[in-house]
Amino acid sequence: MRTAMANRLTPYMFMAPAAIIMAIALMYPLGYMVWGSFRDWNPSQTIGEAEFVGLKNYIFLWNDPNFHESLGVTLRFAFFVVTIEMIIGVGLALLLDREIRGISVLRTMFILPMMIAPVVVGLMWRYMYHPTVGTFNRFLDSIGLPRVDWLGDYALTSVIIADIWQWTPFIFILSLAALQSLPRSALEAARIDGATGWQQIIHIKLPLMMPVLIVTALLRLIDAFKVLEVILVMTEGGPGLSTEILALRISRTATEFRELGVAAAMSNYLLILLLLLTVGMFAFNRWQEARAARLNALVEEES
Amino acid sequence: MFKGLKTTAVGLTTAAIMAGAAYANPYEEYAGTTLIVNFPAHPHYNAAMKVLPEFTKETGIEVEVDQLPYLKMRERQTLELAQDEGEYDLISYVVFSKADYVFADQLENLAKYFMNPKLADPNYDAGDLIDGYVENIGVAGGFKGYLPGPTGSLFGIPFGSETSVLAYRKDIFEKHGIPTPETYDQLLDAACKIPEVEPGMGGMASRAASGHQASHAFLLHLAPLGGRVFDDAWNPIINNAAGVEAANALKTIVDCGPEGAMSFGPSEAANAFATGQAAMFMDSIAFMPGFEDPERSQVVGKVGYAMHPEGVRRGSQTGGFGIGIPKNAENKEAAFLLMQWLTSKKGDLMVAMEGGNPSRFSTYQDAGLNEKYPFAATFGEALKFADPDWRPIIPVWGKINADIGTTMSKVLTEDLDIQEALDGVAERTRAVMDDAGYYTWQ
Repeated sequence: MRTAMANRLTPYMFMAPAAIIMAIALMYPLGYMVWGSFRDWNPSQTIGEAEFVGLKNYIFLWNDPNFHESLGVTLRFAFFVVTIEMIIGVGLALLLDREIRGISVLRTMFILPMMIAPVVVGLMWRYMYHPTVGTFNRFLDSIGLPRVDWLGDYALTSVIIADIWQWTPFIFILSLAALQSLPRSALEAARIDGATGWQQIIHIKLPLMMPVLIVTALLRLIDAFKVLEVILVMTEGGPGLSTEILALRISRTATEFRELGVAAAMSNYLLILLLLLTVGMFAFNRWQEARAARLNALVEEES
Repeated sequence: MFKGLKTTAVGLTTAAIMAGAAYANPYEEYAGTTLIVNFPAHPHYNAAMKVLPEFTKETGIEVEVDQLPYLKMRERQTLELAQDEGEYDLISYVVFSKADYVFADQLENLAKYFMNPKLADPNYDAGDLIDGYVENIGVAGGFKGYLPGPTGSLFGIPFGSETSVLAYRKDIFEKHGIPTPETYDQLLDAACKIPEVEPGMGGMASRAASGHQASHAFLLHLAPLGGRVFDDAWNPIINNAAGVEAANALKTIVDCGPEGAMSFGPSEAANAFATGQAAMFMDSIAFMPGFEDPERSQVVGKVGYAMHPEGVRRGSQTGGFGIGIPKNAENKEAAFLLMQWLTSKKGDLMVAMEGGNPSRFSTYQDAGLNEKYPFAATFGEALKFADPDWRPIIPVWGKINADIGTTMSKVLTEDLDIQEALDGVAERTRAVMDDAGYYTWQ
């Protein structure tokens, strides 16, 4: 009896030190942020010196039109970058999933943008969007079209394009890995049954890749909600608040406005939003995994 | 009132001569000390770093510089100054940090150093420091809490400070018979006439990007046009007739400016002028030497410099950096010696000759400096009108500044009604001030 109990506890005992360390390392800063969000806290004070104000910071944000505008910008930015990057990234992976000469060089080239530091990406795109000497307007000049105020009238579109350029490779590389790990027998069986390339993509490849694609989209989504440097360098959040995503507003609130409590409350709103999205996507992922498992079993039965 | 403060400092330093005379070398006691200083990545401080070896040679005090981009510097200082024992002995602070640091009791009051006969140089001549700079950057606790007054004290010395002047294309103005703008009417007329007579060239390049840049650009016009952000009782008056006129002036300038002007920061605006895309540029003197540098400018020799034009009054900006001693510094006295040396007549001139911004009237009058930098005379003249109250340096300014900047950016890009937009700013500003306790005594 005692041995059975010890056997059951042993794994937990081994895991306990790591679990405790992880819990402290993860939860302490999070708890600090949550605690700070209930205080009228500025950078010159320790958290203990700051006055406790209850839900004041949360209520302030709830009624703050600038916060709502930043939240709207963030949602629009995240929706467009993730959707477009997924379409292009997965499309490229499907296109390049073949054994031809030089394909590895091509794949390496595609992933170069994500290796560049965000500040450099911001600077690079800022200069390419320059109204007079920038690449895009020079091109428009050369074909006789009017110049565009990229970082003025089309600022959000312009930062979305820069993000797509940098992070589509991330989707591409994970999609390609997922594609190459698909059971070849399933694709073989489909081919023998006369399925066209398009039918293979729609009915075999995409459903089997779906669990990986969902996690990939989730990772990009989380990242898109937190993007900061590229937008800071390109537009500083303007014109007006048109590109001021939440991460930028949080940073400004903490450093420029010196309101750490409000910044912490804003971070917590963002955290809650991301948690809800994550839970939703994981639920969808479980459903997709079950569907993929059923499909796998069916394919194996048929082959 | 500040004259009184300066006179007191001069008197104290003079009184210090007697006791100081007992020491052959005031630096001897501190020789071998290593000071750690925090400077921004800025042309003035790059110039200052070139003269630091001379200080070490003269005093035996070593100096290690931690140089950071200025916003990063502020972040670092925010953390560093909150410690019991700090890493820095001397810091440079950007002007709007003055209120935060003094309010949090993180900077040394300099009176006790100027009272110390062992430390205070009798030849320092504090009266020669540019008044507008000292009032804006060095003094806190007086009138409005950030200007000189009976309750004010000195917490820093201007070092790397700036005012605004107008740079204009002499050749273009002469070609079209446009007078050098001395008034705002002339400035705005010229700004919109240039694109008509010189197709493809904007009138004036200005900051206009959302946030701090648009706010800075608006305030640059507000003071000379007779406006203020607050009246003396802290009522926001940014939305009065002068405020509307200043916003209209900025809108006119941007509308008649070079392409893409709405997203310009100071570097883009300066670059537009330096590459011939705009005929005028009105901003900090820190940008002006670049227009005479053939490596950075395509308009060398074609640029004239004039004072910031007059509206209902003259009122050029004051800003930039000062140096102060953190409360938690380890080597405060040696840090004061370095601060004093750098801002002395000799130090100020040495730094200016290396391309820094002078903080003393006498430096601007130096023949050598005027020979090397022909625009120095205009800068010196402009400093007589440097306005320390063009921008309120109060602890909640960051938030108000961001709101003004965002609203101005919307005025420029979304054609908001200016009066309505400024009324909104005034209302939100009042709420911020109320929350910070400014109306407690009303």
